[in-house]
Amino acid sequence: MANARRQVPRAMPDGLVCGLFLAPSLAVLSLMVVYPFLSLLYYSTLRFSVLRPAQGSESVGMLNYTSLLTDDAIWDRFIFTGQFVLATVVVQFVIGIAVAYAFTRDFKGRDLLFTLALLPMMLCPIVVGFLWRYMFNSEWGVINYLISLFGIGKVDWLGVADNALWAVVIADAWMWTPFVILLATAAFRGIPKDIQESADIDGASPAYRFFRITLPLSAPILLIAFLLRLIDAFKQSDLFLAMTGGGPGSETETVSFRLGKIAFSYFYTGDASALAVILLVIIIGLSMILVRHLNRVKDQR
Amino acid sequence: MKRSSQERRDLLSDRLPGTLLACAAVAPLALIASVSEAEDLTFVWHAGTCADAFVDIASDYPDAEVGIVPALVPYGPEWHIKIASEFAIQGDAFDFAMWDSQSTAEFAGGGHAYSVNEIFESSDVLSADLFPAGSLARYGEYPDGSGEFWGLPVNQDAYGFMYRRDLFENPDEQAAFKEKYGRDLAVPQTYQDARDVAEFFNRPDDELYGWGQMGGREYDFATTASNSFLWSYGGELYNPETYEVQGYLNSPASVDGVQAYVDMFQFGPPGSQNWGWDEVNAAFQQGKLAMAMQWYYFHGSNSDPASNPLAENTGFANLPGATGRDGLFRRQFSVGGQGMGINKYSGKVETLTAFMEWYFQPEQQKRYAAVCQTGLKSVLESDEWQSLNSYNSLFATALDYTNDYWHLPEYSILLDILQEEVSNAISGSKSVQEALDDAAMRHEETLERAGYEIVRSEETPEVPDAVISPVGSTEVVALPTN
Amino acid sequence: MRRENTAAFLPALVVIGIYLLFSLGPVLWMVVSSLKDRQELFSWPPSLIFTPDVSSYAAVFGLGDSSQSAASIGLVGALFTSIIVSVCGTALAVGFGVLAGYAASRFAFPGRNDFMFFVLSTRMIPPVAVLVFYHYMFSRLGLTDTIPGLVLVTTFINLGLATWIMKGFFDGVPQEVENVALVNGYTRLYAFWHLVLPMVRGGMAATAGFCFIFAWNEFTFSSVLATTKATTLPVKISSAMGATGIEWAQICAAGVVLVLPVVVFFWLIRKYLLMGMTFGVLGGSRT
Repeated sequence: MANARRQVPRAMPDGLVCGLFLAPSLAVLSLMVVYPFLSLLYYSTLRFSVLRPAQGSESVGMLNYTSLLTDDAIWDRFIFTGQFVLATVVVQFVIGIAVAYAFTRDFKGRDLLFTLALLPMMLCPIVVGFLWRYMFNSEWGVINYLISLFGIGKVDWLGVADNALWAVVIADAWMWTPFVILLATAAFRGIPKDIQESADIDGASPAYRFFRITLPLSAPILLIAFLLRLIDAFKQSDLFLAMTGGGPGSETETVSFRLGKIAFSYFYTGDASALAVILLVIIIGLSMILVRHLNRVKDQR
Repeated sequence: MKRSSQERRDLLSDRLPGTLLACAAVAPLALIASVSEAEDLTFVWHAGTCADAFVDIASDYPDAEVGIVPALVPYGPEWHIKIASEFAIQGDAFDFAMWDSQSTAEFAGGGHAYSVNEIFESSDVLSADLFPAGSLARYGEYPDGSGEFWGLPVNQDAYGFMYRRDLFENPDEQAAFKEKYGRDLAVPQTYQDARDVAEFFNRPDDELYGWGQMGGREYDFATTASNSFLWSYGGELYNPETYEVQGYLNSPASVDGVQAYVDMFQFGPPGSQNWGWDEVNAAFQQGKLAMAMQWYYFHGSNSDPASNPLAENTGFANLPGATGRDGLFRRQFSVGGQGMGINKYSGKVETLTAFMEWYFQPEQQKRYAAVCQTGLKSVLESDEWQSLNSYNSLFATALDYTNDYWHLPEYSILLDILQEEVSNAISGSKSVQEALDDAAMRHEETLERAGYEIVRSEETPEVPDAVISPVGSTEVVALPTN
Repeated sequence: MRRENTAAFLPALVVIGIYLLFSLGPVLWMVVSSLKDRQELFSWPPSLIFTPDVSSYAAVFGLGDSSQSAASIGLVGALFTSIIVSVCGTALAVGFGVLAGYAASRFAFPGRNDFMFFVLSTRMIPPVAVLVFYHYMFSRLGLTDTIPGLVLVTTFINLGLATWIMKGFFDGVPQEVENVALVNGYTRLYAFWHLVLPMVRGGMAATAGFCFIFAWNEFTFSSVLATTKATTLPVKISSAMGATGIEWAQICAAGVVLVLPVVVFFWLIRKYLLMGMTFGVLGGSRT
């Protein structure tokens, strides 16, 4: 024992290790986040446009917040965003977990099929937006062609708000389900085989094994995946921009989309900052609930 | 354990050489880039044949020290964002930029553009006379009528008209039309005529539709078309003197115009309510449209058999006007194109002026005009240019009939609101009157917020054009077609 | 046993098969469309058999007719820029994320939960809301239009994701692993590097994969913060779109070209992606 100790360099105290490990991330994040965050809060209390500085800036306190929160149109957009986020995350998860579970076994060609399954996620988001717009075109799009083979007439996917919501959900879920697949597969394959084998020996059905063993054991990773997908879904506006432009009227505008409009089309810097803070608060709120649940699940393990 | 640390090292060693190699490969490139940086002029524009032409001509600039470097962006919001963001931080990443004519007020009003008047003064070669007065006003003047210029017409454009010559010149069609409507089949001079012709050619079973126009929500698609109707019917977007919008944008004449526009969709293919200029081109090239509203910018590719299989049978004209409810005939349609503005925060104005003095010569502009629409008066007025193709002569006339969006810094806000409401009218969720009423109200809120004082007049005219900038005539003024 | 009885998991193959149909169908359509000429793109019914036209690829690569186009200037430079920025950004994000994730997993330092939440929150803001502020900050720091600046951006956008995922994987490695080593006289760092890290290679690979994707495809920041000297490939290629209308074939060709390096990256790390988390350290067998 004494010999072994002498061969090893003197140990660095845990506290120092912890500090060193955290330092780079803290440095980068603090540098990149502090100034923009503070600017956001600061400008949200002003009536100011960063493009028209000559018009001056007027401190208006919480006026930006109240006028946004009392605007019916914004609430419509929150509802629409909520519908979109819920739909796309649920679809991604149901399909993602099913496919990931299918990949837990080893079989010939698994590597190739797995890489192929991840393909949609690797595409450039702008291209994806245009690709689906092209496919969903009501006149010459291939989607309408395929459904016409089933005897259904041409559907106006992108011009009717309800259809457009599903069209974008399909495009978004198509693109990001591989994210769930990748994480879920890693989580499933991390479950020690002896646990699964002992369940087999006990005569458990595959369904039992999945719901009572696999899912709970991989819950921490799955919850993280859920959290990340949720946050990203709230930020989605590229697809809407490419596929519907927010129309007809403003019926397919998400909050993120409107934020982009106010920030870069209207250049109402103050209003945009306030809306960003509101959106942030909502996302933080939802995340906190999920994180608390995550911590509880972890402790149970 | 040994195995795993070996694998870990393998993972690292896999990537490290690659990264180092890549860095080594780029280092010399970086060196080259920094050497040629000397006095380069960078500009922002969206990619396209016109940008290609510009860069091609600029590569022949005699001064070897100065390179013209394009920083291209996709046609879309990124274009506006790129320029606006740079202005917002008062940066000098680009020295000049081409922006849509309607953005001049926005950027000049924000104080980000360098005064072209100063360039005219400091330069012996460049002066206002080189450009048609109307063009200079449209692409560069802010405020309207002030004589202060902030941009030069580098790429002119106007909303135009194309039609199927073979259908119009077909004797059987002509006979059938005459029988049904009691007059000759011809390119319509009024939107009222256009409606009849569109109805006549609207044959969904044969995959032929009468009329193609833009209706898309994005950017300025729908309103480019709807404004052309609105102005021709005698409507106006607002009163530039009093800043009133209510009573003008939603005046009876304006409603007439937009209603006529919305009604025309019944003669278009299904799904055309969402169209941008690309879909109009596609449908026309597939033979689905008898007539279409389309930018002059695309006449080049539409008269080229390589892009348009029906090029031989494609004719061009200027857009119709309309007989308003006061019985007067007006013809006005949307202007397009880009102006070239100079970044006030760039330190290279002298170098840029020297380049501009060379670029805006007839020799260079003639080369440009072969591909795109130039803004140089001497070229525009030359027979050579006018006879270059079937539509250039039409374009020269078109410039007299163009009208533009608000020349206010708040232009993009007003545009988005009007786009939204017109889109609502198209989709049917609001009636045209409601849509324009709402748009007018929201416009006034925007103007008030920006600090404009709205002076209410006691009554607003039924036909605003009669009051603001009368262009009506008692007779229909026909324009030539090709 | 590597290969199991095929019949036993036919349902799994069916699920994968159906999924691949839906996920690869559009990708195939993208490839097919990239080879169509303008008339073919809008034909009805949409065609699968036609004469391929590679002019869209020529436009993307700046070859042939398009070699004179304004858009083709600097295309190769953009490729290199993208590779460097993505690889460096990914390496830094994964590296820092692994360290921070380990620390957060193993050391119950004060404010740990707050730290993790702060890290997560960096991912929550839509870029457009803060784009101008970043532009201003970068301009004052002299980082606009530079490769280090873009590396900073790509590291930043991925750090939150990397930290959270890695912490999740580290949490799945029992503390006994290090405790056994520590008790036997090995240092924390040794245990971390030689024992724990190899166990989470699957997680690291997954994280690296995600980071590479987000870094490679990053557009919003790259288009505004870089103008001519540090242009990345997506910005460069997308700027070529829009010549005479929406060039659907060019967009699809751009999509195909842009995705290839990512596919290559994923293929290189595929072994690690499918790796399980635990090794035979405690007697349990690897899945």
